[in-house]
Amino acid sequence: MLSEILTIGFLTAFLSAAVRLAVPLIYGGLGETIAEKTGILNIGMEGVMLSGAFFSFAGAWFSSNLFVGLLCGMLGGLAVSLLHGFLSIFLAKDQSVSGLALNMFMLGVTSFLYKLMSTGQDYQQIDTFQTMAIPVLSKIPLIGEAFFNRDILTYMLYVLLILTWLFYKKTNYGLSFAAIGEHPRAAASAGIPVHKYQWISMIFNGILGGIGGAYLVLVQLGVFTENMISGRGYIALATVILGRYTPFGMFGAAILFGAANALQIRLQTIGIAISPFLLAILPYAITLIAMIGSIGKNTKPEALSEPYIKGAR
Amino acid sequence: MKKALYFVLTLAMTLSFVACGSKGNETKGNDDKKEGGKKVALLVSGAVNDQGWNQTAYEGAKKACEKYNCELAYSENLGTADIAAAFTDYAAAGYDVVIGHGFEFGDPALEVAEIYPDVKFICTEADASAENVASYVMACEQTAYVEGIIAATMSKSGKVGAIGPIQGDSLVKIVNGFEDGAKSVNPDLVVESAWTNSFVDTQLAQEAAKAMIEDGVDVIKHCANACGNGAMSAAVEAGIWCQGDSYDQSSLAPKNILDSALYNLDVVMDIALGDAMNGSFKGEVYNLGMSDGAVEVKISDNVSEEAKAAAQDAIDKIISGELNVVRDYTIRN
Repeated sequence: MLSEILTIGFLTAFLSAAVRLAVPLIYGGLGETIAEKTGILNIGMEGVMLSGAFFSFAGAWFSSNLFVGLLCGMLGGLAVSLLHGFLSIFLAKDQSVSGLALNMFMLGVTSFLYKLMSTGQDYQQIDTFQTMAIPVLSKIPLIGEAFFNRDILTYMLYVLLILTWLFYKKTNYGLSFAAIGEHPRAAASAGIPVHKYQWISMIFNGILGGIGGAYLVLVQLGVFTENMISGRGYIALATVILGRYTPFGMFGAAILFGAANALQIRLQTIGIAISPFLLAILPYAITLIAMIGSIGKNTKPEALSEPYIKGAR
Repeated sequence: MKKALYFVLTLAMTLSFVACGSKGNETKGNDDKKEGGKKVALLVSGAVNDQGWNQTAYEGAKKACEKYNCELAYSENLGTADIAAAFTDYAAAGYDVVIGHGFEFGDPALEVAEIYPDVKFICTEADASAENVASYVMACEQTAYVEGIIAATMSKSGKVGAIGPIQGDSLVKIVNGFEDGAKSVNPDLVVESAWTNSFVDTQLAQEAAKAMIEDGVDVIKHCANACGNGAMSAAVEAGIWCQGDSYDQSSLAPKNILDSALYNLDVVMDIALGDAMNGSFKGEVYNLGMSDGAVEVKISDNVSEEAKAAAQDAIDKIISGELNVVRDYTIRN
């Protein structure tokens, strides 16, 4: 059994699968990191991603153009995040309740719209983005195939991760955005426009989450199915905590989760005699164990999910 | 603040359960009110317009009710906890026949049937039988067996795969039937299987298919409902054969599909209601297979003449009773 797993071919394929399964989580997680840095917790990430998936499919289907689909997916995600922003920033409502409500709401909305769209039709499917190998880099053994023989959305993700990291580490604006999540009142007294920056972070939250959902449709599957995000939005929230609210920490956590899921499905196909129920727990168990390992190192933004009301005490 | 949050969340959850529950028990229908006809009620676990499992049952029941001149009412979106109450409601309200659509309706039907001996209870896909309870099970293992024969005949690599959603009885019997059929052609054939543990995780089904393809599998059968679309898209991308489920899925993979297994619920409803109406009702578990027209394999033109002949031979033998496909609920690995 071990000899079957420990071949270079198996490991390369396994790592590729891990990255494919991780990319939607990383998009969602990056959007969530940006939101939580300014103190807004968006539990509605599942709904944001589902909206991105559906509207990217609808856009690509009706226009026959993948880039129009991508744009629609971004806008679909954006709409959900702005709704969350309206409730949690403008109305200063409870963010957990708003997020949960949005998840259920979007499940209903997307299922309903998809039924309208598909009634009386044959199966609908669209083309997907092709992979483009990066010369030289894609020839690196093991990781080359997994990370550098991918599609446009995955490459865009690498750039976004680096930019986000630079933004928070190297710019004054980044510091201002992070300050809001720690102590909005102090930030406001230092002249930082708290609500404006929170709105900006919600825009990124929606667009990135929307791309995360769109990736499943436009790159991987070419079809939309009801509730197809199936919990990835919640896992994205976990990767943010696990990654200690840093872009690359979150990236590592998402790869870990993708790897666990890729491993369990592969072990099943080669007939490892463990109950699939147990194997299916594997990704979640790893998440829990990793979270236990990070006890006592609290890096959470201090004012996360506390509504900021101007002038209130 | 935290306490307030917990309170609100608890309240929200309670309210949503209450909302679901009350929606579930709502009685709609009286679609086909006919004077003097018998009263039939249909209970389903999802929506009757779900374009799938429940809609086909509803339409089948409606058609059968027109044929046998009876009145049909239905309750939709029933959670497992509401089933016994729904059975009781209809039985107490004087309905002659109450149908529960799905495996989960079996046990509650047995419970309620004891209290209302004059009402006939019918369950689909269940394992329940009593004096006034009958179950009608579709022999999906027969179609799976034939699909296994087609897969084994078409495979060049000697490896085929099956992908299922959740290990429920009615899905395990499909994967096992597929394996038996494939091995009847070639005992050395490798049959890989994987379960996504979800009806909706389309990407994971695709990953399962990709893992099989990398391992050399060149025919993939799925019975994974909507998330099986992911398995089919992986097959199309890799240019290997695939086999559909529940509907004619040839438009999803026109060049790659070998066949689709079709489950004709309207035939099941017609047989079940017919028995109840013309007095031949017996408290048994009926197995409705190819000879009843309840299940069939729709073979595409991609299938070679050799495989077609092998499949047709098996179909003929199953219909004539010469070949008995074993129904096996045990999870193999």
